Amino acid sequence: METVELKQQLKQQIIEFLNLTSLTPEDIKDDAPFFGADGLELDSIDSLELIVLLQRVYGISIKDPKEGRKVLVDVNTMADYIEKHRTK
Amino acid sequence: MSRIFVTGVGIISAIGNSLNENHASLLNGKCGISYVNNFPSKYASELPFGAIQTGNDALKDKLGISNPSVTRTTLLAIHAANDAVEDAALTKDELTSADTAFIGATTVGGMCLTDELYRDANENYKESPYLSSYDCASVFLYLQEYYHLNGIIDTINTACSSSANAIMYGARLIKNGLAKRAIVGGADSLSKFTINGFNALHILSDEVCTPFDEGRKGLNLGEGAAFLVLEKEEDVAGKKIYAEVTGYHNTSDAFHPSSLSDNGEGPFLSMQGALRSAQLQPNDIDFINAHGTGTENNDEAESRAMIRIFNTPPPFASTKSNTGHTLGAAGAIESVYSILSIVNQEIYPGLHFTKPIQATGLEPVVVAKQIPVNHVMSNSFGFGGNCTSLIFSKA
Amino acid sequence: MLYIHEASCISPQQTFSTIDLEHVTDPVDNKLHVAEPAYGGIPKNMLRRMGKAVRIGVGASLPLLDKISSLNGFIIGTANGGMEESILFLKQIIAYDEGVLTPGSFVQSTANATAAQLSLLTGNRGYNITHVHRGLAFENAVIDAAMMVNENKGTSYLLGGIDDISNYNYKLDYMDGWYKEEEIDGQSFYSTNSAGSIAGEGAAIFLVNDHAQNALAKVKAIKTLHSADPDLIKRAFEGFIKEQQVDLSSCIFLSGENGDSRLLPFYTSCEEILGTDITIARFKHLCGEYPTASAFALWLSCQLLNRLQMPEHMIKKHGSAKQPSSILIYNNHKNAQHSFMLIES
Repeated sequence: METVELKQQLKQQIIEFLNLTSLTPEDIKDDAPFFGADGLELDSIDSLELIVLLQRVYGISIKDPKEGRKVLVDVNTMADYIEKHRTK
Repeated sequence: MSRIFVTGVGIISAIGNSLNENHASLLNGKCGISYVNNFPSKYASELPFGAIQTGNDALKDKLGISNPSVTRTTLLAIHAANDAVEDAALTKDELTSADTAFIGATTVGGMCLTDELYRDANENYKESPYLSSYDCASVFLYLQEYYHLNGIIDTINTACSSSANAIMYGARLIKNGLAKRAIVGGADSLSKFTINGFNALHILSDEVCTPFDEGRKGLNLGEGAAFLVLEKEEDVAGKKIYAEVTGYHNTSDAFHPSSLSDNGEGPFLSMQGALRSAQLQPNDIDFINAHGTGTENNDEAESRAMIRIFNTPPPFASTKSNTGHTLGAAGAIESVYSILSIVNQEIYPGLHFTKPIQATGLEPVVVAKQIPVNHVMSNSFGFGGNCTSLIFSKA
Repeated sequence: MLYIHEASCISPQQTFSTIDLEHVTDPVDNKLHVAEPAYGGIPKNMLRRMGKAVRIGVGASLPLLDKISSLNGFIIGTANGGMEESILFLKQIIAYDEGVLTPGSFVQSTANATAAQLSLLTGNRGYNITHVHRGLAFENAVIDAAMMVNENKGTSYLLGGIDDISNYNYKLDYMDGWYKEEEIDGQSFYSTNSAGSIAGEGAAIFLVNDHAQNALAKVKAIKTLHSADPDLIKRAFEGFIKEQQVDLSSCIFLSGENGDSRLLPFYTSCEEILGTDITIARFKHLCGEYPTASAFALWLSCQLLNRLQMPEHMIKKHGSAKQPSSILIYNNHKNAQHSFMLIES
């Protein structure tokens, strides 16, 4: 799958998983930070939900929360990690 | 307003089915946390829990209950409440009087029947005996019938601070003249529901919990129940008196749905408010039974809050290292332990501690010892930022 | 004494932004669902996680939060708050066989979620409690609030009663016999001679303190009971009226009658002792049956003692009083939990 396509698909999955009903994939920029005031303003519970997304959809298991913090920065970092580690 | 005294206690936990057993276990540093074999969850063999070894059938036999709709949470509640009522030597007339309040707390309630609830919520199974057993109130509605209670009855759920709030509410009912005496406490049992919930939050430790330790990995869930009988000064002449309820305060951390603020603002305010209500100074407190769940977040935030209040905190420990985290029962169970400290003039250790949290440097008590104990603070903090601190004093 | 200064209600009827109780919304499939407003005041990042009970509870609180500069806490009564999220989480446990689960619905499944979200939304670090004692969850919240303003003079609290109908709690209560088998239209609600009621939901929120001036109403007295005996309830009701010296000639009896033939004897035996002067009115055709429906009755009382002319459809029996000065509420939940409230202007 092309990276562009993966990112588009990932944005849709993030919206569904986190119930971000007021957003469309177009609203989420590739480099918009997940956490903090100038991005999606997600919190620690969302990061746990995104770890479940990686597990269920891409077969990637993240056990160490510190690893999670490195991966869950923005759509770019998450897509990059998926491309390297996906098992499905 | 009247002074409030504790005239009876009852308890069941992973370290004992009676007050005496719990006391002996605390002195001996017994840990009740282990792997459970007969529990219907795949985590039963993967994670340790503070389970009570007595099964439902044995509890039902002992209590003479055959009603199939009675859940484990209710059985534990009755076990502990029976002991408390007997210990306070309440007569049948006193128990059923309109001025006897019963205030219970639970967070799991009937949802310990996790699989049954799933079935009943999704299939048409009209013969299910559990249809009115799943909510939290079912526990104390059953106790109302069981004891033929006629006073104010309530069920409180503020997550892990629930039974601390039940104790506070009961004391306030008496002070406001709405009850002459109050039976207060809480009960919770292990459930597939809470095990999976806490596991999804990544705060369950796969080893025995180590409260206030730098290397702590999370909490262990437990189960249990405890009740206190509260009576007012005018009515306790000639009665056994365990302790006085001198302070309480409830506050919200207003920070996050499931975590405490880094600086422990809610814990700080609840401890400060309890001291104010007891008209005590920080250095009057001889021991703190800490919330101390063993999670990264709680223990550091609570430590910071203790340092803010006490500068150099008095001896403290978390008995969740003995019992596991009993959720809605924790505040009441730990109140009973606080009262034991006062009655016996001794303090009980936190288990499994080796190295202080680097950022705060606080060390819990690690061996039981005899010291003069006049005032004990008991902390309970819950999801949703619900923080409550209680103070018990030597009568 | 507990004084109510503001009252806000999201219910199946038009009770929120504009109040119109002349045009009644009837139940569909024996359920009265609330008309949810747009929640402009709730940040999107909070709203997306909220279940319906939390949403209507916080939503109904918003107009009151705008009207007060200092608030000392939140006192909430809810029996089922969080039930919907509990079952969502339960479904995950089963579907993924206790595997890797998302924690969001678990965190929101605790009954204290509404009070917690309100404190988060306002940054309020005051008193925060949730009473969940089923049909007396709201009444215990009222008792708690009355004690708080007595103990702490000059303080104000948001007091609320909140419950929602989820598919699951409807189903459990339906199988347990608390909702009617046959489909009911609004008009015949009270005259059905069968067991069960219709399901309802709602959030009624009150700003309360100990300040008499300019209050909408005061809760003069409240009593709660557990019993399955109509005679005991009748005697207790009689005692309550005597003790409070209720002037029945200028009073409305607001009855929690709910179309369930098993509960009717409780209500009629209480009516028997009220004499001929009193107006008897009913409200469950407006809100349906739910554990904290007495909070809707209290909201209604605040309206009736101030601006609202009693709609004809509420009246069971006309009385002599032109302008009521007090309202006596009796509510019975599932034949087991009872409450009397005396509300005065």
